[in-house]
Amino acid sequence: MPLLLEIVTPDARVYSDTIDTVVVPTVEGEVGILPGHIPLLTQVEHGELRVTKGNATFFLAVSGGFAEISGDRVNVLAEHAISEEKIDEKAVEAAMKRAEQELAAAKHLDPQEYEHLQSLVRYSGVQLAVKRRRR
Amino acid sequence: MASTRDIRRRIKSVKNTRQITKAMELVAASKMKKAQQAALAGRPYAELMARMLAALADRVEEAHHPFLTRREVKTRGIILVTSDKGLAGPLNANLFKVVTEIKTPAKYVVIGRKGTQFIARTHRDLLADFSVTDRVAFAEVKVVAEFMVKQFLEGVVDTVEILWPRFRNTLIQVPTLLPLLPLASVQAVIADLQADAGLALSSKSEGMGQQMIFEPDAVTVLNALLPLYINREIHQQVLDAKASEHSARMVAMKTAKDNATKLLGDLTLEFNKARQAAITQEILEISAAQFSA
Repeated sequence: MPLLLEIVTPDARVYSDTIDTVVVPTVEGEVGILPGHIPLLTQVEHGELRVTKGNATFFLAVSGGFAEISGDRVNVLAEHAISEEKIDEKAVEAAMKRAEQELAAAKHLDPQEYEHLQSLVRYSGVQLAVKRRRR
Repeated sequence: MASTRDIRRRIKSVKNTRQITKAMELVAASKMKKAQQAALAGRPYAELMARMLAALADRVEEAHHPFLTRREVKTRGIILVTSDKGLAGPLNANLFKVVTEIKTPAKYVVIGRKGTQFIARTHRDLLADFSVTDRVAFAEVKVVAEFMVKQFLEGVVDTVEILWPRFRNTLIQVPTLLPLLPLASVQAVIADLQADAGLALSSKSEGMGQQMIFEPDAVTVLNALLPLYINREIHQQVLDAKASEHSARMVAMKTAKDNATKLLGDLTLEFNKARQAAITQEILEISAAQFSA
């Protein structure tokens, strides 16, 4: 029995396909999900989502959100999600550098801004990690 | 009668105006379509969020999130969504009319330059102003939403409301003031999300929440999910406001273009008359000279 994986963000439905297994990064550690998993609702961390379909393995970078697993469906609600081949390494590196510089430059950043930049840096880091592990 | 040269100059300038307004109309039309599509693209997100909240509502008897706590309203917090640029017909003016009618103390957070100018000019209490691009990325709106939520939690404001031009159709945009915080109940939130996702209302989630495991636990997940709901809600409304802005501009520009076309017709007629008169005059003068010779 295959699993149906769906990843949605506020901007669009990023991914929707039947797969064999998926490993989701959650706040309690990585959770591997096979068909017939017990119903689960969990918080997703910044990290990589590992999808196996047949002999192929895909990686997706996700930023924080939630995952709902019920029966043969896995639904991930994330703020950002991007599949490995779509990650533009140079652009991400540049964005990360910019955010880091802003973090370092401004001492009196208001916490909101700080949080935003931090999450940007974390998400960029995850994207780079996902992209580079294939080499 | 005006000289032919003057009329020709006016014809030229009206023609230019018509060309510009026509281009702006086309641009606005395509941007409007994009904004509407973006609003629809948020549907699966709303649907999934509704499902998760429904499952949580099954399990969490009574939520004690600060978002759900009603307190005495001393200062209202209002997010005003306007456009950055003008030439959009009465769109912004209609919003400002609603603002003028608010007599209770309120603090404002504004999206869009027009609104910032208005709030500053009328000496109202401006907390912050933001600007979003036409694409309305979620990250852009999130900053606004989180800023406002912070003010709410710190007690700077006691409600969070949003005022934006609601898109009814291309011709009609209604200024709408919608309270966001405090939330009425989790059930109301679920109903709203389901409506946004275009689903029929289903009050219960097949008792799914009963067997579900929550990590770390149901209350934590619920508390983390509610701020996301507010972010999404504001994002949707800003997208809606963008669609309204572009459709209002499209209609305004179409009217301007039609007026220019009409004026051009009148001017051309006047020009021809003037030319005819000048020729007749010349012939008269020539023949008069011949007779006298």
